Amino acid sequence: MTHEVIKHLLDDYVTGDLTDEARAPVADHIAVCELCRSEVASLQAIVAQAKELPRSVEPPPEAWSGIRAAIARDETAIRADKPAVIGNRRTAYLVAASVVLAAVLSSTGTAWYLNARNGEANGEVTSAATARSETPATLAAFAVEENNYLRTASRLQDLLDQQEGALAPETVAQLRASLHAIDDAIIEARNALARDPANKLLVEMLSSSYRQKVDLLRRSTELTRGT
Amino acid sequence: MKTSAVVSDTIESPSTIEDRAAALECIRRAQSGDVDAFEQLYREHSPRIYALCLRLKAGDRPDATELLQDVFVKAWRRLDTFRGDCAFASWLHRLAVNTMLESARAEGRRTARVLPMEDTSRLAGAARSSGIELKMDMETAIASLPKGARLAFVLHDVEGYQHQEIAEQLSVTVGTVKAQLHRARRLLRERLES
Repeated sequence: MTHEVIKHLLDDYVTGDLTDEARAPVADHIAVCELCRSEVASLQAIVAQAKELPRSVEPPPEAWSGIRAAIARDETAIRADKPAVIGNRRTAYLVAASVVLAAVLSSTGTAWYLNARNGEANGEVTSAATARSETPATLAAFAVEENNYLRTASRLQDLLDQQEGALAPETVAQLRASLHAIDDAIIEARNALARDPANKLLVEMLSSSYRQKVDLLRRSTELTRGT
Repeated sequence: MKTSAVVSDTIESPSTIEDRAAALECIRRAQSGDVDAFEQLYREHSPRIYALCLRLKAGDRPDATELLQDVFVKAWRRLDTFRGDCAFASWLHRLAVNTMLESARAEGRRTARVLPMEDTSRLAGAARSSGIELKMDMETAIASLPKGARLAFVLHDVEGYQHQEIAEQLSVTVGTVKAQLHRARRLLRERLES
C-alpha cells in the first residue's frame, strides 16, 4: 500500500477498526514513515483525551421538577384521552396549549357533569335551574360542536408541530403568543361555564374562542405550506 | 471485531446480583406507574445522560437540560417497551441519542436560515459557560466542531458507539461517519494545539 492509501486508514488504525490483514501493512508503513507516525501519535492523543472526559455531570436540580411536571401533565392528558407531547422547548409551547386545553376540558367537563348531578341529587335551585329544561339540549349541542373543534384543533396542531420548522422564528413567537392568549380565554370561559353550565353567553364565548383557535391554526399551517 | 461499547463496557450495569435485582425491581415499579421509583432511576442515571446531552448540545446548558428532560419524559412514556434484554442504562442512552437526533433534525430545519452549520463561534462561547470544569479545553474544542463532526466524535470517541451504529442512527453511510470523525479529530488537533 502506498502512503496516500495508508494515510486514509490511520484513523481506523488508531481506533482498532482495521482487520488484521489491513492492519499489518499499515503498521509496517508507520514504522518507516515519520509523517504517518506523527499523525498516529496525534490521533492517539485525541482519542485518549476523549476517553478521559468526565462521564457524568450532575444536572441542575430543577431538571427533575420539569420532568415530574411533564409526567403529571401526561397523566392528566391520558385521563382526557389526549396524549401530551412534551418535546422541544421551541415547539413545546404550541403543544402545551393543546395539552392544557385537554386537561382543562377534562377537569371542567367532569365538574360540569358533577355539578349537574349534585344539583339534581340535592334538589338545589341555582341560576342554572331556571334553564334546566334547556340545559341538556344546550350541552348536547355544544358537546358535538366542541368535539368537532377539538378534533380539528388537534389535527391542525399536529400538522403545525410537524411543519413549524418552515416558519421564521419571529412568526413562531407571534403564533405562540396568540395561541397562548386564546387558550387563556378558553380556560377562563371553561371555568366560568363549569360554575354556570346553563349560561348561553359563556357557551358563545367558548365557541368563539375555539373558532379563533382553529382559524389561527389553519392559517398557520397554510403559511407553512406557503399558500 | 469490536463489540459495541455502548452495550458492553462503556455503560456500567449494577455489579452484583442483589444490585441487579434491586435495579430491576425499581424499573418494574416505575413501569407500573410509580413515579418515586422513576425518580430513583433518574437520580441514578441522569448524570451520565446529562454529560452526553451537554456534549451533543455543544455545551449549551439550557439546551442540554431541555434534552435531558425530553429523554426522561420519553423514557417514562416508553418504560413498558423496556424488556430487560439490555442494560437499562444502554436503553436510556440510546433513547437520549435518538431524542437528540430528532430534535436536531427539527432544529436544523428551524435554524438553517439563521445559523449556518459551520458557524461555530456561538457554540464555542456556549461551551465556555457550560460549567464543565474538567478538561475544559477539550470540551470547548468539541463544542466548537461543526455539528456533523461533533456528533460523530461524541458518539464514537467519547461514547464508544461503532461506526455502523452511528451510521444507522444518523441515517448516513459508514463512510460519511468515518469522514466526519476524520475531520473532527483533525479540527480538534488544530484547535487544541493553537
